Amino acid sequence: MYIKNKKSLAVICNIVCVIPLLFILAMLILHLTLPEKTFSKEERRYLAQWPVFHTEGIIDGSYVTKVETYFSDQFPFRNFWVQIQEGSNQILLKR
Amino acid sequence: MVFSSLFFTFAFLPVTLILYYSLGKHLRNIVLLAASLFFYAWGEPVYVILMCISIMINYYIGSFLDKNNTGRRKRKLLLITSLVFNLGCLAYFKYFGMLISTIAFVSSWNLNAAAPALPIGISFYTFQALSYVIDVYRGKIKSQKSPILFALYISMFPQLVAGPIVNYADIESQLADRRMTLRKFSAGLRRFLCGLSKKVLLANNIGLLWSEVKAMPGTEISVLMAWGGIIAFTLQIYFDFSGYSDMAIGLGKMFGFHFKENFKYPYISQSISEFWRRWHISLGSWFKEYVYIPLGGNREGKWKLIRNLLIVWFLTGLWHGASWNFVLWGLYFGALILIERLFLHKRMKQWPKAVRLIYSLLFVVIGWVFFEFTNLTDALSYLGIMFGAGGNVLIDTQTIDKLETYAVLYLVCIIAATPLPKKLVLSFKMIHCYIYKLAVSVYYCALMFFSAAYMVGSTYNSFIYFRF
Repeated sequence: MYIKNKKSLAVICNIVCVIPLLFILAMLILHLTLPEKTFSKEERRYLAQWPVFHTEGIIDGSYVTKVETYFSDQFPFRNFWVQIQEGSNQILLKR
Repeated sequence: MVFSSLFFTFAFLPVTLILYYSLGKHLRNIVLLAASLFFYAWGEPVYVILMCISIMINYYIGSFLDKNNTGRRKRKLLLITSLVFNLGCLAYFKYFGMLISTIAFVSSWNLNAAAPALPIGISFYTFQALSYVIDVYRGKIKSQKSPILFALYISMFPQLVAGPIVNYADIESQLADRRMTLRKFSAGLRRFLCGLSKKVLLANNIGLLWSEVKAMPGTEISVLMAWGGIIAFTLQIYFDFSGYSDMAIGLGKMFGFHFKENFKYPYISQSISEFWRRWHISLGSWFKEYVYIPLGGNREGKWKLIRNLLIVWFLTGLWHGASWNFVLWGLYFGALILIERLFLHKRMKQWPKAVRLIYSLLFVVIGWVFFEFTNLTDALSYLGIMFGAGGNVLIDTQTIDKLETYAVLYLVCIIAATPLPKKLVLSFKMIHCYIYKLAVSVYYCALMFFSAAYMVGSTYNSFIYFRF
């Protein structure tokens, strides 16, 4: 019984160990599969969409900035994360 | 691309890892090189060409230096060519604007030359290239035969933009062959998460307080607020920079590399000299190895020692940025270290530990004032407020309010800047192997979770106007 427990604990440990990586991969997959949103009710603004490719945009760096904005605007469960941040800010910063 | 952006952590990193581990072993270095060039080109689509030119020139100089039939004079010429090229690039791309404005200021000429934009990471990769060429010249290392491995050494994305500065000798064997295990990988992942949360959870949040204080008009800052603000900056810069180094070291481990430590709890130092042995270690050892010791170090008498220290600290300051306040900041530490070495060294040993700690921290914090304010007048007036010379009130309600808001975060940051948490965690290690391991893993999951929340939160632009 004890050995069995120990073994299963070891398995659990190894799984928990790589959870952050699985989480990163899961977020990427969700990002690619979830439908894209156009409007954020909470922020009252239109969310960035995948930018149109322009050679000039590559050279002056505006294209990559747009891609990064697209990526963060369309991040899976965006509002959920923001709520977590606001909640922990209340504990950490008392506001 | 910065490590603490969503795009890096949730797109670039997983895709690179998948390609790196799924394509065969012989393709790994090529994948890593391609990823590094992509990473650099992402932020610097034009300057990536400059980096490639630098890689090619230093590669060829290195291989010519290593040839048996290259004579002594020719070797010297090759070394000088490399120094002129590398330092010339650095001088032009980093310091040209500073030079022009200084000349204009001193001579009161009206100079209108456009200074080039600073290529990201140029200070880091130039120093790596220089260390390689100098070490080949000295015969300390063999030149790298493979252009791909050399390009990988210069451009490897974990340490490309913010260090640590890796010496070629330290990773020479790892470039060609390195062992990757699940254990090493998960240790690397943890180190990365540790750095990420230092940056996203601690540095960014405590930094908010400093930007609030900095934005206040000088007359409204109370003495206590001034101290609170600069201490917040002290914590911010440590967690920011050491967080980046942790991420770099962790990423390196995830790809099988082992980089040396760059920070060792600098804020527990007992002297200024010790502080610099614990802060940005890779830069300090670079200057020691390639500037201080070649100049003669401390072996040629007192005056040479003074000269050498001042040169090293002038350059260390200048390295941090193209502005005179950094030079002043460097010389300030040079002077302090000189005083310690010449006069205080023996006396300090008799001081109580707490006094030595307070002495070191006090001078480090004052140093950050010179570091943070580009303008000397601003720096001096801020120092004036801190030491009560500005006639500001000691404390007011706004100060109490602000410091109360940040009290918990302050406490967390101060504890996290000491080795206490690590010691505490290690002391539990004996108790119960698996429960301990499980608890540590859960802790890192939590770090990942909250870091993600803060990374998303920082991109959230709620229109405040709508609330009113």
